[in-house]
Order: sequence, then C-alpha cells, then structure tokens
Amino acid sequence: MNKIGLIVEREFTERVRKKSFIITTLLTPLFMIAMMVAPGFMMMKGGSSTKNVMVIDNTTDQFVGKQLTSGKTVEFKLLGEGTTVGQARTQYSNADIAYGILVIGSDVLDNPQNIQFILNDASSMSVEENIQNQIQGILRTERLSRYDIENIDQILADANIRVNGLQTLKNNGQEDESGMEETSTVASWAMGLILGMLLYFILIVYGQQVLQSVIDEKQTRVLDVMVTSCTPFELMMGKILGIALVAALQIVIWAVLVIGASAFVMPMIMGNSGMDAMTATASAASDPEVVGIMSKLTNVGYLAGLFLELLLYIVGGFLFYASMYAAIGSAVDTPQDAAQFNGIIMMPVIVAIIVMMNVMNDPNSDMVFWCSMIPFTSPIVMMARIPFGIPTWQVIVSLVVLYISFLLMTWLAGRIFRVGVFMHGKKPTWKDLGAWIKMK
Amino acid sequence: MDPILRIEHVSKTYTGHQALDDVSMEIPRGSIYGLLGPNGAGKTTLIRVVNRMTIPDCGKVWFEDHEITPDDIYQIGYMPEERGLYKKMKVGEQAVFFARMRGMGRFEAIDKLRKWFDRLGIIEWWDKKVEDLSKGMAQKVQFIATVVHEPKLLIFDEPFSGFDPINANLLKQEILGLRDRGATVIFSTHNMESVEEICDDITLINKSHNILSGSVEEIRRKAGGNTFLVIYNGTQEQFNSAVSGKANLLGDPEGLIGGYTQQKIHIASDDDVRSVIGSLNDNVALRSFQEIIPSMNDIFIRAVNGTL
Repeated sequence: MNKIGLIVEREFTERVRKKSFIITTLLTPLFMIAMMVAPGFMMMKGGSSTKNVMVIDNTTDQFVGKQLTSGKTVEFKLLGEGTTVGQARTQYSNADIAYGILVIGSDVLDNPQNIQFILNDASSMSVEENIQNQIQGILRTERLSRYDIENIDQILADANIRVNGLQTLKNNGQEDESGMEETSTVASWAMGLILGMLLYFILIVYGQQVLQSVIDEKQTRVLDVMVTSCTPFELMMGKILGIALVAALQIVIWAVLVIGASAFVMPMIMGNSGMDAMTATASAASDPEVVGIMSKLTNVGYLAGLFLELLLYIVGGFLFYASMYAAIGSAVDTPQDAAQFNGIIMMPVIVAIIVMMNVMNDPNSDMVFWCSMIPFTSPIVMMARIPFGIPTWQVIVSLVVLYISFLLMTWLAGRIFRVGVFMHGKKPTWKDLGAWIKMK
Repeated sequence: MDPILRIEHVSKTYTGHQALDDVSMEIPRGSIYGLLGPNGAGKTTLIRVVNRMTIPDCGKVWFEDHEITPDDIYQIGYMPEERGLYKKMKVGEQAVFFARMRGMGRFEAIDKLRKWFDRLGIIEWWDKKVEDLSKGMAQKVQFIATVVHEPKLLIFDEPFSGFDPINANLLKQEILGLRDRGATVIFSTHNMESVEEICDDITLINKSHNILSGSVEEIRRKAGGNTFLVIYNGTQEQFNSAVSGKANLLGDPEGLIGGYTQQKIHIASDDDVRSVIGSLNDNVALRSFQEIIPSMNDIFIRAVNGTL
C-alpha cells in the first residue's frame, strides 16, 4: 500500500508541475468562456457583412419580389420586369456587387419549387433559409387570400397553440400535492448529458494519459527498475490513481475558474449591452423548459443530492477504463501499436454516448436499462438516467456491478500488465493477451 | 562459505523459445560473480528470474537460507543494461524516489544520496533534469540509485558500458568497495577484461545452458592446459634434449633481441614441471619460464565454440 502511495505521489507531482498541465488548466476555461461569450459578441457585432441578392421575379406584378424585405444579412434588389437571367448573369457576375441572383418562376404560386438561386459566392445556409422562409410566407398569405375568408389572420393566430412543457411531478404516494418533487424532463436530460460528456472527456483524455504513461516507462526501461521494487499491480494502481487525482484537481480548478469567471469577469468585459444580448439569446428560446434547466442547475440542494451518485459513477467508470488502458499500454511498445486496441475500447464508449442521447425518449426502455447495468456503458448512460429519478435499487445494482467489474478488470489488466511490461518487439495479438492472463 | 544465492535447475520457455534450460549455480557470499554469455544466451532472463520479474517454469531460487520471497527484493539492487530513469524528473528527486521505493525513509535517503552524489562528483547535478545529463552521468545516477539502500546482493547488467576509462575505473573501485563492505555482486557483461580484473567466480551461459562455472583463476589455469613459455640462451639441440620425453614443443622457436630464444612447450603431467625446469636450468641459460594462462576472452570464445 505504501508503495502505491509513493507512486501516486510521484505521478501526481510530476504531472501537476508540468508546463503543459498549467497551460491546459488555464487555457481550457478561457476557451470555454470564449465559447460562452462568442454568441453575445456575434449578436452585438451583427454578424457578417450584408449580402446583395438580385431578384428576377417573373410573376404577375412581381408580387413576390416586391414583398421580400431586406434585413441585416440580406439586401434584396428587385430587377426590372423582363430582365433575363442571361443579362443578369453577365451584369452581376462579381461577388462583391452581387452575392447571387434569385430567379422566381412565373408559376411559383402553384409550383413553389420553381425558384432558382444562382450564386457568385459560397453558399450560405442562413441566407437560403431567410429567402425560403420569406417566400414561403408570401406564398402562404397569397394562397390563403384566395379563399377570401374574413378575419383569417385572427383565426389563424387563435388556432396556433403551442404547449410548452408539462408540469411534471414525481408521485410520492401522498394524496395532496404537497412535498411532491418537481421534475423536468429536459432539465434532467441536459444535466445528464453534460455530466455524461464530462465523463466521456475524462475517459478519453486521462485514460489516454494512463496508456501513454505506461508506454513511456516501458520505452525508457524505467519499468525494469520499478518492478524490482514493487509489484506490477502496485505500479499499475499507483499510475491509475495518480492520474485520477490529477484529473480531479484539474476539473475542480476548471469548475472554480469557470464559475468565477461567469460571475465576475464576464459582466466586466462584456459590459451591459453584451450581457443583455446573452440574456436575449437565452430568452429567445423563451421556453419554460430553458427556465427549468436554469433553475434546476442552480438548485444547489438538488445538485448535491445527485453529486454523490454521479461521483461514484465517474470514479468507477474511470478506474474501470483506466485499467484497460494500462493493460494495453503494458502490452505494446509504441502508441501506434496501441491504436488497434484503443479502437476496441472506444466502441462501448461511443455506444454509451449514443444510448445516452436516447435516454430522453424513454429513460426506462429495455436498451437503456441494460446499458445502464453493463459496466462498459453504465457510467455514461447512468449519468443521463439518474437525473430522471430512477429506482434506487437499479442504481445500487448497477454500481455494485460496476465496482465488481472494476476489480475484475484491474485483476485481468494486472495479469496482462505483469507479463506485458517485459515484452518488447512484436505487437501482441489478442491470443497472446489471453495466454498472458492464463500464465501462472 | 554459504552461498547467498542458489539457482537450482531453472528453466524458462517463452512462446516457442527456450530461454533457460536447467540452469544451476551458486553465488558465494561476498564474491563478485560474473555472468557471461553471448547475446541472447539467457543472461537477462536469468537475472529477471532472480529479481522475481519473471517466474520460471520450473526450478527454484534460494536467497540466503530460504526460497526467495517478494520481500527479498529489498535486499537486491538491480541496474538493468538499458538504463531506466524518468527523463523529465530532477535527478535528486528521482534518486530519492527510487530509494524510498526500496524501503528507505525520505530523510535517510536524502542524506545517503547526497554523500554518494558527492563521492561520484555529480552533486551539482542534483537539481538538473535527467534529460540534460550525459550518458555517463545518467549511469552514475542509476548506479547510485541501485546501491543506496545497501542491498546484500547487487546485480549490474553491463555496468561499464558508456563510461570513459577514468569513470569506469572509478565505478570499478566503488564496486570493489561495496564487496569489501560485505555486498555480493553479480555482474553480467561481455567485457572480458573487466571480468579478469574484478570477478572472483563466473558462470558462462550459452544457448540457455550453463556451460562453464567456477573461479576465474581455476578456469583460466585449466584452460591453459599446462602450456609454458620458455625464454633461454643456448642452442636448440641443448633445449630439445633437456625437455625431451617430458614436454612437447609447440610451434617453432622464435629468436629474440639479445640472442635469446623463445619457445612454447606443453607439459603433459603436472609432476614433470619441476624436473623440466631443472633440466632446462642445467642445459641452457634459462631466462624465463612462465605458464601461459589464456585470457577470459579466449576462453569465452573457445567455450562458446565448443573447443575448450
């Protein structure tokens, strides 16, 4: 045990003192803040330059072209009646003068597909969408007016209902509603998604570090010296735990920096208008769902309740995968050789991510249930399931399975490790790995 | 003297390749023991078996009076041929880390290590990173890390490779000093000169078999097979009549400066050596009579080629 402690200490201090650790630890939050700030800035600056679109409208009276309204991003210029496409194309072939030429067919009211957009420049989704929406609206109004119904606008507005989010409550078996816990599907899902992604990130980044660390020591032959002073198992556990501690420290620093920055630094650099723009972005979605997520994510009590369970999954999941990475690292000589095995490890992780995305549809479907029990996928899938409030027994069973599998995996990995660290040269096959496990 | 390490009928097969086949040997306590053999003979495997890095398929390793246990590795210091140090770590911290891994306390380790660093003239490198060291200096660090916890048994794999003659000599003196203070040293090498200089006993392994064991002196004497070099002043007839019947001439006589002649002879029986010297002394002016002891290098090559 003492030995593991020493190895953990060395791994931890060596990594934490590295320049790369300090740089990534400080730069990642900056990057994250930039991601958060960027939409606000974009809104303030109004995005890219206005695009000029020349419009040839062949409809009667040019009714479509006349109704197109220019905005910040697109400026429409209606060309005179009778202008041919050929003329326009020769006249407006310069991208600086005209972004593109929009040609509206004469029968567009009955054949809405008859619209062409000839581009001088790279296509833009937003411009195309803008044009499509406008024309759709114009044609819709025009078609409706054919029916000649009185107050049609009011009728339509009245009929256009949206049900935004149910008030979802957790049945606690009581007759009255008091004490019933409010749940939010979207809020739960969003939170699970964030945590699942976090675990995915931890697995990839730090799992790879375990792999790399073992390969490095094997290459420099430090392993030969190490294993004469401790057992391979102690060495492996020391490495995994040391890197786990680094991960924990880095994530805590990030959390503190991001929270601190969003509370104090961002309002300062953005000023009021920027913050307003951001708030506008949030309320633009204006769903009660979004508000639900916000309130849920800021509900400290709720978070703390989840935290322990989720922490157990993060720790268990990391240890489970890290021991696989360690075994692979011990078996190969170079990171290139590790790639093949790496791919196999990543497969269940990717399956887990896909299943996690589907949790929202039905957090209790068979597939989701089993994936939250199988240790290869359970840490990530459970991240998304737990916020929905699932039976405690499932959590317990899944955790027990995960931790037993973790012990089993470290045992297996330890057996591969103990042989692998002395093997140099040929890349082992799966059969070799099996033989190493069985070797006494 | 009781052996510190006894290897009994150890065999080890890797997938499709027999690395050790029924190898036995005894390492006398307080000796410097040479483990010799061509590349790929199985030396490293044997060292790994002793270090408990590899479990043999069959056979036993005894340390002192018991079969070797995991705790015994504290009593063994091992310096692998391919030096293993953490490149990015500072030299001093690294040495302290390895010392603590072998059971020393932090302060004891620092204290002893600083003395060693001082002695080998690398104390000013304490705070440098390993990647900034030259190969020789890194090797000194490795050497110190191997011996600092004062193990009873030291195993060096090619300890002198990468050293200039001055530092090789410095290291040799340190190894001899360690033996004088009671440690037993096993060292694996191809450098036969160093074997002659410092090894008391050797084992020669070839193709996973132990083909030659014993004290260096004895092996060389035996391999010499009673060959002598005689330098004298006199006629060839006088010489021939003096040795006839007791010794065979090997090769032709060689004239030397000053009228001396040199002749190699072989004396079949040990008992005849004295009488040959006696009759030579009577017949020619005998200048020198010397047994030819082959170098370890010759013995090594002959043993491996099966012509010893």
